[in-house]
Amino acid sequence: MATESINIFIPVFVMMAIAVALFGGALLAAHLISPKNPTTLKEMPYECGEEPVGTAWSLFNIRFYVVGLIFIIFDVESVLMFPVATIFKKFNELGQGTYVLIIFLSFITVLLEGIAYCWKKGDLDWVKSFKAGDRK
Amino acid sequence: MFLNLLFLTSALLTVGCSVAVLAVKNLMHACVFLLGALIGIAGLYATLGADFVAVTQIMVYVGGVVILMLFAVMLTGGKDHVSKTQKLKSLIPAMGNKTSYLIGCLTALVFFLTQGYLVSKLLGSIEVQKQVDTFSPTVQELGELLITNHVLPFELSSVLLLGALVGAAIIARPRKARPQYEEEAEEHH
Amino acid sequence: MTNTIAEFFYQFEGFKSLVEGMNPVTVSVLIIIAAGALVTVFMATVGGFGTIAERKISADLQARIGPNRVGPYGAFQLIADGIKMISKEDIFPRDADKFLFYLAPFICVFGVVSTFAVFPFGSGIALSQMNIGVFYLLAISSLVGVGIFLGGYASNSKWSMLGGMRGASQIISYEIPVTLSIMSIIVLAGGLSFESVLASQSGLPHNWYIFHNPFTFIGFFVFFVGGLAETNRAPFDLPEAESELVSGYHTEYTGIRFGLFALAEYMEIFILCGVAATLFLGGYNLPLGVLKGTVPEQFLQFGTILIKTLALYYVVIWVRWTFPRLRVDQLMTICWKYLTPMAIFNLVGCAVWMVAFDGKSMFDLFFGH
Repeated sequence: MATESINIFIPVFVMMAIAVALFGGALLAAHLISPKNPTTLKEMPYECGEEPVGTAWSLFNIRFYVVGLIFIIFDVESVLMFPVATIFKKFNELGQGTYVLIIFLSFITVLLEGIAYCWKKGDLDWVKSFKAGDRK
Repeated sequence: MFLNLLFLTSALLTVGCSVAVLAVKNLMHACVFLLGALIGIAGLYATLGADFVAVTQIMVYVGGVVILMLFAVMLTGGKDHVSKTQKLKSLIPAMGNKTSYLIGCLTALVFFLTQGYLVSKLLGSIEVQKQVDTFSPTVQELGELLITNHVLPFELSSVLLLGALVGAAIIARPRKARPQYEEEAEEHH
Repeated sequence: MTNTIAEFFYQFEGFKSLVEGMNPVTVSVLIIIAAGALVTVFMATVGGFGTIAERKISADLQARIGPNRVGPYGAFQLIADGIKMISKEDIFPRDADKFLFYLAPFICVFGVVSTFAVFPFGSGIALSQMNIGVFYLLAISSLVGVGIFLGGYASNSKWSMLGGMRGASQIISYEIPVTLSIMSIIVLAGGLSFESVLASQSGLPHNWYIFHNPFTFIGFFVFFVGGLAETNRAPFDLPEAESELVSGYHTEYTGIRFGLFALAEYMEIFILCGVAATLFLGGYNLPLGVLKGTVPEQFLQFGTILIKTLALYYVVIWVRWTFPRLRVDQLMTICWKYLTPMAIFNLVGCAVWMVAFDGKSMFDLFFGH
């Protein structure tokens, strides 16, 4: 298999450096140019004219966390599936497509079982329905 | 040349951000520094020519785990997420004592030096490739290995992930009514 | 060297004699730095024009005129906006988290600009031909979600917090169908780089992956809808829903920092459309091998990808001004109960098609030899 030079990462590195330099520079320029005369009213969080009560940082719903948890599992599965997807064509040309297909499909089946379970148990529902007496 | 630059940047990012994670008291800031450290580790993988692992590091940790951590910190609620004291002083006898800190630092130093000595000994005996200027693309090799030599681990990993998914779903599910409420409900019946 | 932008310059005799005595690596690094800066400025301009296009097209769709004061047809509005944003006052909310407030827009822009490194603008005009380009683009663009969440969190305003949380959960949810749709193309293409995906398509529509088989045809729409949600575009613009959350995660942002959020969003839409055009619509390939192997071909290729991308860009704006916004529960239902199962179905379908028909496209099966 062909080898690649480590220099293939140069553009990625350069782009990241440019992002830091250019947009960091824009932020700095704006910081130097922009007028600063803060008043109490300006610094108040916008709540349509009402005086804000309390901080916003205690607003958090567990539902977002569930979505995050399910996402990570799928993310890891997709990372494992990408290398197999990459060599699928090569093995198919070698006449071993069925073998790879079986492996690939059995992997996806387990993934589907996970979705089916979460779907059945209502973990994918945003608005959870409760039986009477479940939530007091 | 570029290899050294990449390594230096990544290593400095990793070490600097890791120290910052420990040093800052605000949990949100610690999460953001952790993000920097994880990107730095991805750079270190790139230095070693493991391109797929490097991008996986970004994909899984930066895109998933850090967001999940931010969510988890939000779940802890509270006013400002700043840990003022950790109450370790009253729990552990030697904590907060200057002598014990000094002894800790010395132990760490001795440990570090011993390890450095051992590693340098090992490096002397083993032929180590100094510069990895070229590498072979890893995705194809990984894929081939996953479906030839390591089919069983590959399939088992999906079962493991299924277990993790079910576990995560169960843990995050809203609890049923608390016991005392259930008793009350039974009394009503 | 595999840095194609450098090879692009090396095909000119005059350039060869110019850099004769220099180290080729140094030369290519200099070229990459110059080209990277050029690409960034170009993309920033495209992003800026995106804001004008948005206003002009929406005005057109609603039988209005739109911005027409600055320059011909309001074309210089972008410069006026830029100057205004830089010179506006930096308002910093009272109880905000200062460090994260400064950092959040920057993380967004950083995530988007880093994706340009692998985007194929033409056969010789890509900055890097990484062999895992598609995967890299997917991974690094997920930084935008972190930026949006931090932006919402740091403002310490209730509207921002709600917008930030919605944004982060929406972006990570829709990453699943997008990733799976891309994977079905990877199965057909047999490579994780943009070049391998492009090499197996050609300039004429019958060789595009969208018409390769029925599954990829559905896959394109799954990808596009998922992409709309990932870039927070209407009808999925819940993180910044102006009728319910004021302005969502950037409610408290003013001046250049607001500008960076907007710029990141518009540049990300361009990248989304570009990736859709590359993966499904033939990318920069020219039909019938016109001018093969010559320098004008490379410029024509750049024009081709630009036209395809901008056409999709128009569709994105058109969709925004046509469909009403979804509710949060509908958003999650669409992602997990419709798009994800569809994407898995497409992936399985593509894999089976690959084995059953030896990877031939529909056109080859019907009319092929």
